[in-house]
Amino acid sequence: MSYAESLSLTLSEVILAAGALVLLLVAGWAGDKATRLISWIAVVLLAVAGLALLGPAGAAFGGQYQADSFAAFAKVLIYFAAGASILIAPRFFQLADGSHMGLRAEYPILILLACVGMGMMVSAGDLLSLYVGLELNSLAAYVLASFMRSDQRSAEAGLKYFVLGALASGILLYGISLVYGFTGTTAFDGIAKAYGDGVSMGELFGLVFVFAGLAFKVSAVPFHMWTPDVYEGAPTPVTTFFASAPKVAALCMAIRVAVVAMGPAAHQWQQIVIFAALASTILGGVAAINQTNIKRLLAYSSINNVGFALIGLAAGTQQGIAAVLTYLAVYVVMTIGSFVCVLQMRDAEGRPIEAISALAGLSRSRPGLSAAFAIFMFSLAGIPPLFGFWPKFLVFDAAVAVGLLPLAAVGIATSVIGAFYYIKIVKIIYFDEPGEEVFAANNNVVETGLMLLTALAVSPIGYLAIPVLGQLSDRAAGSLF
Amino acid sequence: MIQAFAFYLFATMLIASAVLVISARNPVHSVLWLILGFFNAAGLMLLLGAEFIAMLLVIVYVGAVAVLFLFVVMMLDIDFAELRAGFVRYLPFGLLLAMVLAVEMIFAVGAWKAGSLEMAQRLVPIPSDVPNIEAIGDLLYTRYLYVFEGAGLVLLVALIGAIVLTHRARGGIRPQNISEQVKRRPQDATRNIDQPVGQGVEL
Amino acid sequence: MIGLMHYLVVGAILFVLGVLGIFLNRKNVIIILMSVELILLAVNINLVAFSVYLGDLVGQIFAMFVLTVAAGEAAIGLAILVIYFRGRGTIAVDDINRMKG
Repeated sequence: MSYAESLSLTLSEVILAAGALVLLLVAGWAGDKATRLISWIAVVLLAVAGLALLGPAGAAFGGQYQADSFAAFAKVLIYFAAGASILIAPRFFQLADGSHMGLRAEYPILILLACVGMGMMVSAGDLLSLYVGLELNSLAAYVLASFMRSDQRSAEAGLKYFVLGALASGILLYGISLVYGFTGTTAFDGIAKAYGDGVSMGELFGLVFVFAGLAFKVSAVPFHMWTPDVYEGAPTPVTTFFASAPKVAALCMAIRVAVVAMGPAAHQWQQIVIFAALASTILGGVAAINQTNIKRLLAYSSINNVGFALIGLAAGTQQGIAAVLTYLAVYVVMTIGSFVCVLQMRDAEGRPIEAISALAGLSRSRPGLSAAFAIFMFSLAGIPPLFGFWPKFLVFDAAVAVGLLPLAAVGIATSVIGAFYYIKIVKIIYFDEPGEEVFAANNNVVETGLMLLTALAVSPIGYLAIPVLGQLSDRAAGSLF
Repeated sequence: MIQAFAFYLFATMLIASAVLVISARNPVHSVLWLILGFFNAAGLMLLLGAEFIAMLLVIVYVGAVAVLFLFVVMMLDIDFAELRAGFVRYLPFGLLLAMVLAVEMIFAVGAWKAGSLEMAQRLVPIPSDVPNIEAIGDLLYTRYLYVFEGAGLVLLVALIGAIVLTHRARGGIRPQNISEQVKRRPQDATRNIDQPVGQGVEL
Repeated sequence: MIGLMHYLVVGAILFVLGVLGIFLNRKNVIIILMSVELILLAVNINLVAFSVYLGDLVGQIFAMFVLTVAAGEAAIGLAILVIYFRGRGTIAVDDINRMKG
C-alpha cells in the first residue's frame, strides 16, 4: 500500500494535526487575543475531522493504523467531548482567574493534539502506535490539568495526574515488553496468533501487566487513587475533558487490546476485568456518599461508571462490546451535561463554587438549572424513564447472556447504592432551605445550548435514538470480531 | 569469558546505582547515581550489540534528561530532610513487597517456565549484512513513518507544555529589538557640524 | 554468550526497584520522577534483549520511541514540578492539606 493511500485512511488525524500546527502559528502571531477565534476554528476542525471518518475503512501503514467502524464510533464521541470542552473553557478561565486574563491560546491547540493521540490509541493495530498515541494524549493531559498555573490546586492536580500517568505507562510498557518478547511481535494479529497456541508463563505475565496498566489508564479500582484529587483540582472544563474523551479513548483501546490482540486468552483477562469491574462499581458507589464537593462526587461517579462499562467488556462477546459502546455514548453526554451544570455554580463575581451544600434550595432561584441537574442525576443513577437506564440494562443483559449472573447481580445492587447519592443531590436542590449563596445568572448562549442539548438527549426523548445507536454500536463492535 | 565478566560488572553496577538512586539522602546524589546507572545500561546494550540504542541512552538520557533533573534539583530550594519522613516507616513493608514481586517476576521470565520465544512471528528480522544504525534508519523512515510522526507530535506537545507552564512575561527587562537596530540609519544618530574654534559644543 | 534470562532478571530487578522507589519516596516528587526513569530503563533493557535474541529489529525501534517519549515526559514533569514549587514552596505531594485524598 502506498503512503498516499495510508495517509488518506488517516485523514481525520492528518486534519487535526495539520490544523493544530497552523493554529499554533496563528496563536504565536496574534497572541492570546485570538483565543476565541482559535477555539472556534478548533471546533470546526473537530467537526471536519468527524466528517472525514466517513471515509473508507482499511488498515494503513502496514496494519499499525486500523480505520474501522469501531475506531470511527469512538472518535465521534472523542471529538464531540473535546469540542464541548473547548467551547466551555474561555468563559470559565476568564471568570475564575482573578486577574481576568482570559484563556491562553494553547488550550484548544493542546486539546486538538490530545485528540490526535486519542485517535491513534483507538485506531492502533500495533503496540508501538498504541504507546505513542497514548503518550501524546497523556502529555497533553498533564499540561491541561495544571493549566491554571497560578492556582495551587491546579498545579497539584497536574502533578498527581502526572505521577499516576507515568507509573501507569511504565507498568503498561513493561507488560508490552514481555508480550513482545514472548510472542515475537508487536502487531495485534500476530499477538493473537501467539496467544492462540497456548498461553505460556511469560505471555501470561505480559498480559497481567498490560491489563494493570490499562486499568490505571481508565482509573478503575484498585488504581483509582488520586483520581478524585485530579478531578477536583483541575479547572472544571479540563475535568469535563478528563471525564469524557480520554476515558472513552482508554476504554476503547483496552477493548481492542483485549478482543483483537488477546482474544484467545479471554479466559485469563476476563478474571482481571471482572475484578476491576466489581471493585470499581462498589467503591465508586460507596465512597461517593460522603463527598461534599460536587467535582469529587462526579469523580467517584465516573469510577462507578467505568465499572459498569467494564462489566460489558467482561462479557467479551460482540453483544457485550456493543453494550459498552452504547454505554460510553450515553455516558459522555451525561458527563458533559452534568459538568456544564457544575459550571453554572458561580458566585456574583464569577468565582466557581464547588460545595454541594451551596445547591440547597436551588429550585426556587434557578428552576431551569435545577431541572437539568435533576435530569442528569437521575440519568446517572440509571432510573428508568431517563436514558441513563438503557445502557446499564444492555450491559447487564450482555453479562447475563454469557452466564456472568453474579457480576450482573452485584452491578445492579451497587447501582441501587449509587442511586442514593444522586438522589440526595436532587433532594438538596428541591427540598432544602436555600442558603445565602446565590448563583450568578447564566447569560451564555453556548453553555445554555449545550445544557439543553445534552438534557434533551438523556431525557426519555433519547429512547428515539435507540434503533440508530444500537445499529451503529453493533456494527462497530462487529468490526472487531 | 570476558563478556560474562563485563555483563556482571555492568549489571551489578546498574542495580547498585538504582538502589542508591531511590535511597540517597540528597537528590543531587540521586541524579548522579542515575547517570552512572544509565552509563552501565548503555554498556549492557553494547554487549547485546545494539550500538545505536546505547549511544542514544548516553546522549538523550545522560546528556539531556539527567542534566534537566540536575538543573531542577539545584534550582529549587528544597528542604530535603522533611521529604524523607515516612521513608523508614514504609521501608520494611516496601522491601517485603518488592522481594515478593521480584521473585515472582524472575520466576515468570525464567526461561525454564516462560515458554520459548516464537521466532515465526517476527516482523523485521535483523539483517546480517547491514550495520545496526543503518538498519534502524532504513526502518524508521519507511515502515515506522507513522509512529515517527507521532513521536514528533509528542515532542511538540512537550515543548508547548513546558513553555505554557513555566514561561512568565517579566516586566522591567530590556530585550534586544533587532528590527529597530537594523532600521537605524546614520542620520538618526549622528550629526555633522562645522565647529567654530573657541566655542563650546552644543549637545 | 550471556543468556537472555540474565538480561530479563536485570530488567525485572530494575523495574521492582523503580516501583519500590515510588512507594518509599511518596513525598519527594523528584525521586518519584527518577524512579519512573528507572522503570523505563528496565523496559528498554527488556526490549533490546528480546530484540537481539529474537533477531528482530522492532524491539530496538520500540526502545528508541520509549527514549523519545521519556525525554518529553521528564520535561513536562519537571515543568509541572517547577510551577508547583513556585506556588507552595515545597515539592511534597503527600501532605494533601488542600485536598483530601
